[in-house]
Amino acid sequence: MTGRPGGRPLVPAYLSTGGVARPSRPQLERLSVLTGTGEPAPGDLPAAQLALLEELDGGSLTVVEAAALLRLPVSAVRVLAGGLIDRNLVLARAPIPPAERFDPDLLERVADGLRALKHN
Amino acid sequence: MIELPDLVVGGLAAGTLSALALGGGLLRSRRQQALQQAEIAALRRQLDGTLQAFIAEVGYLAAQRVPAAARQLAHPHVAVPGPRHPHFADTPLGGALDDVLTALRLELTGQRTRIDAAAQAGMRGATREIQAALYRLQDALRGLQQQYDDPELAQTLFELDHENEQSLRRAQIAAVVCGAWVGLAREESHLVDAVTGGQARLAGYHRVRVHNHLAAGTALVSHAVEPVAIIVAELLDNALRHSAPDTDVTVNLEHVHHGVCVTIDDAGLGMTQDERARAQRLVAGSEPILLTDLGDPPRMGLAAIGQLTRQFDLSVDLSSPSPYGGVRAVLLVDSHLLSRIDPEERPPAASAPRSTRREQEAGTGEAGTSAPAHAYGIEQDDDADGVVSEHDGPRDAGGLPQRRRRSRATAPDTPVPRRPARRPEEAAAALGALQSGTAAARSGTGATGGEAQARGGRGNRRRHGDDRPMTDYEGGAAR
Repeated sequence: MTGRPGGRPLVPAYLSTGGVARPSRPQLERLSVLTGTGEPAPGDLPAAQLALLEELDGGSLTVVEAAALLRLPVSAVRVLAGGLIDRNLVLARAPIPPAERFDPDLLERVADGLRALKHN
Repeated sequence: MIELPDLVVGGLAAGTLSALALGGGLLRSRRQQALQQAEIAALRRQLDGTLQAFIAEVGYLAAQRVPAAARQLAHPHVAVPGPRHPHFADTPLGGALDDVLTALRLELTGQRTRIDAAAQAGMRGATREIQAALYRLQDALRGLQQQYDDPELAQTLFELDHENEQSLRRAQIAAVVCGAWVGLAREESHLVDAVTGGQARLAGYHRVRVHNHLAAGTALVSHAVEPVAIIVAELLDNALRHSAPDTDVTVNLEHVHHGVCVTIDDAGLGMTQDERARAQRLVAGSEPILLTDLGDPPRMGLAAIGQLTRQFDLSVDLSSPSPYGGVRAVLLVDSHLLSRIDPEERPPAASAPRSTRREQEAGTGEAGTSAPAHAYGIEQDDDADGVVSEHDGPRDAGGLPQRRRRSRATAPDTPVPRRPARRPEEAAAALGALQSGTAAARSGTGATGGEAQARGGRGNRRRHGDDRPMTDYEGGAAR
């Protein structure tokens, strides 16, 4: 909600979920990937859920990306996504684990070794 | 010798005569005196009576007429009694007593205005401070909402934010009633955002249904945003307060000839003729507001609307009953307070209801195209154009709606047929089948011989290759 230039948002975040912050799917994480199932949205979908669904039209998004696009806190998007998953409109996948990174200490030791070799 | 008695007799006679004359005079004067005394006594009685009546009249003035005249200033229905003795009414005394009342009224009105102005100034200062503090609290709460997503904490933060919005609303209308500025400068915003923002400030916001029939991008100029949000919040508060908790309050946003109209209907009891007249007088904002007129506890909502409608050239009408049985409140936003925001660059808030116009359009236009209809009413039908062109900003050169996509969705332009998204179980099943197939082929070729194994291996690799688009897709989906 901070993305908008100049000033506080008019519509508070709690309105998007009707004041609910406890998601129906507690396993959703910040980096869980949401994908639309492509099923037509029912007419009675709350506005915020519809907005999330439409963001997913262009492809999959992580929860935190959707939150940034919708200018809502992650906690609200988790509730919205939970509702959509319950209605079988969205699929969620567990976060993709980050690739194994090299230990920075090890890299430093290698660099030091290379420098030592060069000086010799 | 005769002379002496004659003299005596003459003297006696004269004496007698004079005595008689004197006696008569004396008697006459006695009688006159008695008459005068009687007259004096009568006059004194009359004077006493008049004095008594005068004292009684002044006493009555002090005890009855002055308090009634003072009360009448605050409560116009109080009747001020006339003089105790009606025959005084046309006398100079009656006139003088009426002058007393007139002077008293004048002085009281002046004092009342002065005291009220002082009270308003004091309250203005206090509420301004409170409002600023609540905005700081709001910033802190929203910062925390962004930072933490533990559900329990987030729930508490949402509740606190809502409580804070309600307190903010009360402080703000108290300030506005006391003649202060709305206290917050906003930038140009979507009208539907202002309405939804007003809705969010109420305890019963769940009961409000907003139907947005505006063309996408209909916005308010910056200085009208907060007033419209406040007015909508107050009208909704009235509607929610005066209708049963299991009924909805309906809000419709529509274009009218020279602006936009926000109609709020409730299904409550409605108002009596007197209440309606009073409400209409208050929201018109034509009379100065006195805090003492607002009752205890003060009902500030309508008075605040009155202040805002006067200052910002908005108009609110409460005169017609709602078809749902309750009150219909109509806020008219004139076209000079409207502007236009590109809904693609700055979409309305996620919780703001979509325009029904866009939905109709999307429903008909979506049919077979692969281009996803994007979230925020980019497209408009021609009807919408016709209606909004008067007060809308410049449109695209050709006058035709342009379908553009947001920069995020830079999907490949080549028309890749989109696969339907697969469930994790399906993906797992497909990969599992692949693996078991591979394993089966390996074991099969392993039994037949080396050459076949090599061929089988190549075959396997090719099958992997065949499947690569699918796995790529998975990767692409994940981003």
